[in-house]
Amino acid sequence: MTVALAVPDVLVARAQAGDEAALEALFRAFETPVYNLARRMLRNAEDAEDVLQETFLEVVKSIRDYRGEGYLWGWIRRIAATKALMRIRRDHIRATEPLGEEHGKPGMHVGANLDLERAFEHLTDTSRAVVWLHDVEGYTHEEISELMGKSVSFSKSQLARAHARLRGLLGEGEGAQA
Amino acid sequence: MMHCTMDDLLALRAGEASVWARRHVEDCAVCRAELDGLYQRVAQLKALPALRPPRDRWSVVRDAVRVERVRRRRTWGGWTLAAAAALAGVLLVPQFGTSGKLYAELSQAKEQSATLEDQLQNYDVDGRVLTGRTAARVADLEDRIAVIDGDLSRQGVATAQAQDAELVKLWQQRVDLMRQLVNVRSTRARYVGL
Repeated sequence: MTVALAVPDVLVARAQAGDEAALEALFRAFETPVYNLARRMLRNAEDAEDVLQETFLEVVKSIRDYRGEGYLWGWIRRIAATKALMRIRRDHIRATEPLGEEHGKPGMHVGANLDLERAFEHLTDTSRAVVWLHDVEGYTHEEISELMGKSVSFSKSQLARAHARLRGLLGEGEGAQA
Repeated sequence: MMHCTMDDLLALRAGEASVWARRHVEDCAVCRAELDGLYQRVAQLKALPALRPPRDRWSVVRDAVRVERVRRRRTWGGWTLAAAAALAGVLLVPQFGTSGKLYAELSQAKEQSATLEDQLQNYDVDGRVLTGRTAARVADLEDRIAVIDGDLSRQGVATAQAQDAELVKLWQQRVDLMRQLVNVRSTRARYVGL
């Protein structure tokens, strides 16, 4: 999903002054891209809703600090991605699983010819987050590693593993891959 | 025959592949197909439909906005009260040395400030829709008043070093800013006919 929302400076200024109508206008403009980002990164729809809410609570709290560097969507997206990654990290700690470990799911097997959306759902949270941030949102591995508190090579290896898995789940290119 | 790994394919896509991988993909139809498949997957991911939130969460965020606004106003009001209390303490210290003229100016500024505070309350500031320029102006004035209140509070704490004239000047600046704030609010109120 490509977000090309131009937000008038005057709306941002009003939101920064605490104008409720302006803040609602920003919420309405960005609620779907924020939710979509969170939902693609997280397995659970309710978690994505919570991230949407947490993101805008943060936006309300911090918008006075936004100085107009870059696009507003970039600023909001970074908040949302950080919130989603925090949730992934928290869930991994609770589950005492190493970050990024593949977990098997009932009924999942390589070459099942799933459609891409369903195949994507079968990836781990960490892999999904890396794929989405890199391939769809256009983050670099350096930016992803910074957001995740991991190394650049971690981000690269997660992306490679995720694509290899997607390829397998989609039943593509049986002949290649050493 | 050795083929490209997924790492090689991703590096090719990013323009960071090894010489071997770049040459190999030119000659190997299997790996070219793999690379095409990778491009297609990414394109398909980008084309996935946007998922929309099932419930409206604005009401929760809006409530937080209102709480935050009350908190800010309380903080601002708190500074005002603290500054007034500090001033009262200062005026009661006999050795403070405020001359009769300065004392009169101080009392006048304080009185004007309190009157303007009362006027401001009449404009229902939380319910008013403001233009961007007006909202920014209001925020700027409120911030500047908060800074002066902070200065006044510090002056009150450090009475030994406090300069009488400086205290009067701060209060007069505060009155001036309050007057501007009231003007902005009242102009807006007249404009929208409320």
